[in-house]
Amino acid sequence: MRTNRLKLLVGGVQLRDGVTTVTDLLGKIFTRAGLYAIAMEKGYASTIYGAHQYDPMLVTETPAVSYGDPDIDILVALDYDTNPDAKQQPNRDTVLRHGGFLRDGGILLYDASTGEIPTDDLEARGVKVFPIPARKIAHTELKKEVVKNIIMTGALFRLVDFDNDTAYLTQLLEERFLRKGRELVDLNLQAAARGREAVEKILAERGYELTVRLEPRPAKKAVYVSGNDCLGAGAIAGGVRFYAGYPITPASGILEFMERYLPKYGGRVLQGQNERESIRAAIGAALAGARAMIGSSGPGISLKVEEIGVIGATETPVIVVDAQRAGPSTGMPTRPEQGDLNLVLGSGHGDIPRIVIAPGTIEECYTLMLEACELSDKYQCPVFFLTDLNLSEGKKTVLEEVFAHRPKVTRHAIVREDDVRGKTYRRYEITESGISPRSVPGTPGAIFKTSGAEHDEFGFVSIDPAKRAAMMEKRMRKMDTYLREDWKPPQVFGEVRGAPVIVGWGNTRPVLEEARAVLQARGIKAALVHFTHVWPLRRDALDALLADAGPVVVVEQNYSGQFADLLQQELLIPTRRVLKYNGIPMHPTEVADAVQKALEREGAVVRIGGTAPVKVEVGRNEHEGD
Amino acid sequence: MSTKGTKIWDENAVPKHRIQWCPGCGDFGVLAALKQALTELEIVPHELLLIGGIGCSGQIRNYLNGNAFHGTHGGALAYAVGAKMANPDLKVVALAGDGDTLAIGIENFVHVCRRDPDMVLLVMNNGVYGLTKGQDSPTAGLGQEREEFSEEHPPMVDPLLLALASEATFVAQSFSGDVKHATRMFVEAFQHPGFAFINDFSPCVTYNKFNTYEWFRDHVEHVPPDHDASSKDAAWALVRDFARRGKVPLGVVYRNPRRCKRFERLPMWEDELGEVDLEPVLAAFR
Repeated sequence: MRTNRLKLLVGGVQLRDGVTTVTDLLGKIFTRAGLYAIAMEKGYASTIYGAHQYDPMLVTETPAVSYGDPDIDILVALDYDTNPDAKQQPNRDTVLRHGGFLRDGGILLYDASTGEIPTDDLEARGVKVFPIPARKIAHTELKKEVVKNIIMTGALFRLVDFDNDTAYLTQLLEERFLRKGRELVDLNLQAAARGREAVEKILAERGYELTVRLEPRPAKKAVYVSGNDCLGAGAIAGGVRFYAGYPITPASGILEFMERYLPKYGGRVLQGQNERESIRAAIGAALAGARAMIGSSGPGISLKVEEIGVIGATETPVIVVDAQRAGPSTGMPTRPEQGDLNLVLGSGHGDIPRIVIAPGTIEECYTLMLEACELSDKYQCPVFFLTDLNLSEGKKTVLEEVFAHRPKVTRHAIVREDDVRGKTYRRYEITESGISPRSVPGTPGAIFKTSGAEHDEFGFVSIDPAKRAAMMEKRMRKMDTYLREDWKPPQVFGEVRGAPVIVGWGNTRPVLEEARAVLQARGIKAALVHFTHVWPLRRDALDALLADAGPVVVVEQNYSGQFADLLQQELLIPTRRVLKYNGIPMHPTEVADAVQKALEREGAVVRIGGTAPVKVEVGRNEHEGD
Repeated sequence: MSTKGTKIWDENAVPKHRIQWCPGCGDFGVLAALKQALTELEIVPHELLLIGGIGCSGQIRNYLNGNAFHGTHGGALAYAVGAKMANPDLKVVALAGDGDTLAIGIENFVHVCRRDPDMVLLVMNNGVYGLTKGQDSPTAGLGQEREEFSEEHPPMVDPLLLALASEATFVAQSFSGDVKHATRMFVEAFQHPGFAFINDFSPCVTYNKFNTYEWFRDHVEHVPPDHDASSKDAAWALVRDFARRGKVPLGVVYRNPRRCKRFERLPMWEDELGEVDLEPVLAAFR
């Protein structure tokens, strides 16, 4: 019997079966029970109704690094056949798609309302099958079809010997439904009991032995939250009081979060009529003195590019969240990718200073956002905050102590009335740091003229060559100041000297940490160098770090290896690449395999995923002469 | 008309001898009327935020005192909306051209009319893209016969009709050749609680050889004193009637103060922000 480590996957038909309703409920209950849950590999489609949806979850006793490999202990299939007379059963998606990932001896729990399905191949591998006619019970016995998911939840809890006294479930149901009446709570509890009974019956009939159990641990202060929730909370704690967005997956969650909570903190939220209106309104709000943020995804950021230039040239502080999804164009709206790096690095014509940071975990969506708030205010330039679909919409048990980290919100280089008394105020004063004191409208004596066109120190449009050069240099000097004062070096795991180095950035860190452990177990001592501060990069520090390193393998989730290109360009070192871009998140073992392959040849590009087997290609190597 | 007292508007501005409008440009009339209106209203320059559009018209932000911002083509209104949302105490004026407002910025124009923020949009309408040397703007073709148009050069967008259709709450028209009347229109626009749109005919003496000062003098006609500006039906009828007669109305065409919810200024300074209590957020996630 294994205690407190469970990997489960809940699947069903989008919207109809309430997949995330179940996993959200489980995540919340497990978190309250002192356990840790991660559900960060959501699978759904860009449709409202009918497509297959799944939500895998890992439950552990101590915090897990990542979701890990795609193996499953318990598969919960909520789909049922809507047409009982159908010869084939089209709604077996969950079993067909994910059955292969069930561990030998695992558990399949499925809705058998419209008949049992053939499971011989699974049973041959020792899978214990639990057909529960949940919808039928809900419909005929309990007279309320929606409680079918609670029947399944009750069944699942029985399978892992959890919440036998229904204390957790009762509490959650009371919180949710008591204001609608005691009967509704009782009905749901009855449903859970029916699920338990059904499992009990099958256990007795088939004589199955259960192998996984969950046991509550002393409660810790923790919440079950998404990355969008965390970055929203970070923005509020970091002083953001104006948020603008336009609905787009997977950034819409930020808009919803902000609409719900920002007004409670005196802030305002604008749902723009298009992507451009939202970023422009944020620029206006920042100009007026509010700390402003916008959120979007790749296609939306493409539309906002014009204004990125405005932010850079007018030196208006705006935080730009890009919750990446797979591209190009509308791409795969509901699949993750790290494909927008080139977009945010190159957005806007001409040269503008910019800062790009990317959190590695849901916790960092909070802590790094606090930093982003400070950086935008200090450097008066676009600060990009790159998450991705999994990080944005995925959920995880996060200790509340993470949110206790609340640095004082400060204002950098803002001129007040007293600062300019008797002086001539120049909005774009040439300074050594490149940062010019900013005034906000309403400050007597500090009237400013701001322009996205090239301007002099007063902000008046100018094409004077000397003034142009000085202003350009002043703006770009901010990057030197940033590298000196605020740049954070990459996190290093292990000994870099003489060892192969895995390099990653942003949301893949947990997977890379585990891939490194896999390699270590195979006797390959690789180091991991992981970047959250992605641009600009400090060459001297990185040169020193990688000077005596072995081969550098950059692992990222895009086709070309955008960060690898950046490293090659900045550090003049050759990189090998491991790339995955099929829309499925990376998993530790496949990354370890691919890194191992990449280590075999110089310039190797190893692509993961697709139907083709992992294949090594000899890539370009610009550092060897013809 | 006295310009005494308008001196305050010359500080923090580009000096007169460096103004880069062609001699005779209609925008000079707008500048004079705007300064006069701001003086009459006793608006304080440091509480004024001028959002300039792209084009000759947008330059006006630099020619008078007040905080000024200048971003992208078609963006003036959206910046203004954000600034006004952040600080409702600011006096916000968007100063744009016809191309800026009705070509690239037409979507913002329609939606800002609907949003009805308490600010002014002053469009300097000359029917051409002056700064890029005379291409057609969406208001090109004012006063021309229907048969004269083609697919490449379609009939003009009527800004007044578009504003009315977009639920604007203040719609007025003025002419740079009549600075006194324009001043009155600007004053009324500033006093309007909500979004005030003024279409000012501001002739381009260099590129629009048809809609000249003379042409306007022959074609403008004041809105009759008995016009009921509070009635939308009357406003529609008035604009159509003028168009039928080949005339251009000057005056307030429509005015209907909508009572928008008044918001507080957003917290902006460190002492106002303080350390926030995230408990309400966390409680919902437990």
